[in-house]
Amino acid sequence: MRSVWATTSQRPGVAEAALGRTEPSDAAALAALRAGIEAVPAGIAIWAADGALSYANLRFRQIFEFPVVIGASFENFVGELARSREWLLPSSAEEWERSERAGFGRDRESDYVLADGRVLNLSQAPLEGGGMVQTLTDVTSVKRNERALREAKEVAEATDEAKSRFLRAANHDLRQPLASLKILIYNCMREPDEAHRADMLHAMSVAALIMEDLLGALLQIGQLDAGRIQPRVTSFQLSQIFERLDIQFRHQAQEKGLKLKFVTPRGTVATDRALLERILSNFVANAIRFTEVGAVLVGCRKEGRLLRIEVVDTGRGVREEDRERVFEEFYRAAEARRGQKSGLGLGLNIVKRLADLLELPVRLRSRVGRGSIFSVTVPLGNIWHSEGGETEISEMVAGEFAGTPVLLVEDDDILRRSMTQLLQRWGIEVHAAADEAEAVRLAQSGVSVSLIVADYNLKSRTGIDVVRALRQEFGVATPAMIVTADAEPRVLESIREEGLPVLIKPVSPPRLRVLMHNLLFEPGLISGSRQ
Amino acid sequence: MAADLPPVPIGSMIPLTGPSAADGAEFRKGMILAVEELNARGGLLGRRFEPIFADTCRQTAEEVVAAARWLIEKHKVHAIVNGYNIGPQNSEYEPIADAGIIYVHANTLLQHHDTVMSDPERYFGCFMADPADYWYGPGFIKFISWLRDTGQWTPSSDRLAIISGSKPYSIVIAQSMAAAAADYGWRLCFGPKIVQTPTNQWREVIEEVRAAQPAVVANTHFYAGDLAYFQRQFMEKPIDCIVYLQYGAMHRTFTDIAQESSVGVIVSSVIGLLRDEMGKRFEARYNARFGEGSTATIGCQSYSNMHHYAVAAAMAGGSGAPGDFEQNRKVAFALKGMIYRSVHGTIRYHPDWQAAVPYPVVTHDPSLGMPHIFYQIQDHRKPLSMIAPEPYNTERFVLPPWMGGRRAAKPAAG
Repeated sequence: MRSVWATTSQRPGVAEAALGRTEPSDAAALAALRAGIEAVPAGIAIWAADGALSYANLRFRQIFEFPVVIGASFENFVGELARSREWLLPSSAEEWERSERAGFGRDRESDYVLADGRVLNLSQAPLEGGGMVQTLTDVTSVKRNERALREAKEVAEATDEAKSRFLRAANHDLRQPLASLKILIYNCMREPDEAHRADMLHAMSVAALIMEDLLGALLQIGQLDAGRIQPRVTSFQLSQIFERLDIQFRHQAQEKGLKLKFVTPRGTVATDRALLERILSNFVANAIRFTEVGAVLVGCRKEGRLLRIEVVDTGRGVREEDRERVFEEFYRAAEARRGQKSGLGLGLNIVKRLADLLELPVRLRSRVGRGSIFSVTVPLGNIWHSEGGETEISEMVAGEFAGTPVLLVEDDDILRRSMTQLLQRWGIEVHAAADEAEAVRLAQSGVSVSLIVADYNLKSRTGIDVVRALRQEFGVATPAMIVTADAEPRVLESIREEGLPVLIKPVSPPRLRVLMHNLLFEPGLISGSRQ
Repeated sequence: MAADLPPVPIGSMIPLTGPSAADGAEFRKGMILAVEELNARGGLLGRRFEPIFADTCRQTAEEVVAAARWLIEKHKVHAIVNGYNIGPQNSEYEPIADAGIIYVHANTLLQHHDTVMSDPERYFGCFMADPADYWYGPGFIKFISWLRDTGQWTPSSDRLAIISGSKPYSIVIAQSMAAAAADYGWRLCFGPKIVQTPTNQWREVIEEVRAAQPAVVANTHFYAGDLAYFQRQFMEKPIDCIVYLQYGAMHRTFTDIAQESSVGVIVSSVIGLLRDEMGKRFEARYNARFGEGSTATIGCQSYSNMHHYAVAAAMAGGSGAPGDFEQNRKVAFALKGMIYRSVHGTIRYHPDWQAAVPYPVVTHDPSLGMPHIFYQIQDHRKPLSMIAPEPYNTERFVLPPWMGGRRAAKPAAG
């Protein structure tokens, strides 16, 4: 081999050799060698000592957009490559070109990413007697696999780290309330005094609550660390979150004598609804915890296509040096650590992590002794895409009978139950009675209704009697209808004579609906008997 | 078409007389055009469609049920395809379910959901080809919030007044508006007040509304003539608020009576002809067939329902006569599974409701829902301006002439 290389790297060159200007035995060897080099699954180029290209296999030449010509100089080749912009170079084109020229004939190796995404390994090695050989290998899939492996390893390490941190934290923060709990249980078992025991039980429940909060917070952090929380961005009305927060925190604020006010915003925001609620809920909980006097106000400011949601408190404020660190895990300011009612030091860390996940900026402005403003900024959404509660279509919400009180008198238990269910499905507030006595009792107890639906054949009385008695009790001619299984003309006639519309059992729901509608909203359309 | 094959009888229950006769006439034309087009292309697998019309007069439960029975018993129709009938409250579903035929209508009723879902097996063939009245409520609230949030209009307050007619349709819309208002920052300051309709006397309720100082007033009654008188009486001494009138204000009768008073009014429809290429071509065919005075935006309802039914029946391998539950179940399955782009948007049946899904209130994808279109009367002599939602709108909202105080702050954005 060495002799062959020596021959090819000196005059007359591979190309000439192939043209038969050497000895026949050498020519055969050269042809074999050339065929071999062409078959290698990599680009190969041989540069002579004077920097001219002696040989390049097809693979090598095909990698470049510009023609690679035998005899071309290395300097020109490097210049052309730098200008082609096909390779992502580690430095400026000029600098890279200089460094490559200087490195001619030396051992070198680097990976390059091409504009089309492929990754190529370029390595060069000096040749005896000057010059060098370059090989270009496509390592795209190798690199991809390496990256996947590295990422998998990082995830595994992060999960592992998260677990350890979780255990450390759990160990650290659960110990305290657990210890208190043990002492309290022990004392409680021996405490004869009722009042003392009640105090201790209360303290125990507080300790248990703290542990519960802590576990909940740690689990959230654990999930965030493990990348298990996937945001789902939708458009929605912020007012919906404000309402829920108001319900959640109203009592806590009242207990501390604080005013909690939500300035309900207009407008749609686009982010993950549940995660934003967790961010705001942590802000509000924090504000209430660290405010002794005054108020907590939640409001918004529009900033172009963004909305800044602010939680303003009149609490103790956060010192300049603590403002970054309050968002760290388990961080509690010095005063807070001394205080009895200190938090867990996790809330704001959860906020930070959630905000990072949602890519929402979080800010803290504060004046010691005056209060703080914690804020999170969210993008405004498209109102047409806003998700309200309205996608749950229901007659109970907006049917024509929604909220209408009806008194149903039916002695058959099964029928009474099924009729009640039907009416309730239509949003009706049903007051059901099995007989006249029960119906009258309901009326006397203050139940007032817009409509009476009475069965005709009640045990001792007719539906007509019941309607009369109820109307007398209510003192008004409440709209009423009779339902009957008895379709005898005499019976129907007596009902009609009373001026009451009648439906024959089994009652068809659409008929019932039409009659109820007419009685309630369009009495002019009642024509007595139906069906 | 094979001449020896018997035609496929299709029933159509239409108010050919009575207060909705104008709409009825268009529903009839829509059916005729659809059947002519279908028959020209070979009908249903070689069988001609034959439409049979039953007059539902005042559209009461009795009249509509009688029409359904007559079509099924006398004419043995394989399907009943309509526009809308107000009033029967689904009573007509009973004879139809007993016969096991297909029923496609545009009744726009929330009750349809309750009836179908109460017994999906029994009502397998009942389809509502437009979204329920219910959706008008949240759709309207989103619309006014969109005007407000995009700066097209600066409301004087967050106060909303709702007047309702006494029909179930109006009451449901009024209730669903009221239910959605607070979520979007609106406060109900009046109503929903149910006014006995029909009526052309509105001054009393307008005075009550005035006292409530609303930024928006919505009247969910839907008779064109009644609404025209409302608007004229409103304009005697206008209130500084947006005026929304339900469906009927889209009709020519409304502008004919209200004239200049109608300019600025907002009206909407969960089913209406689009002004894109498909819609325009349909309108041209419709007018060429029935004359320039025809209203393609009404006729398109029965037209699309008939075409959609025909495609489904072809997919199912044919239609089914009364009693042929098996074949009609196949047709129902095809109707349910097919996303059909009609000249008034997409008909996609919700798998449980068997009703069309509205865009953008339920689906945010215009290719999957029927657009709830908002119009404004900007020139009473010209067609209504279609101002929302995207991508169907062709014009922009302008501040009504009686609201001179505040101008639109900036152009619409999204």
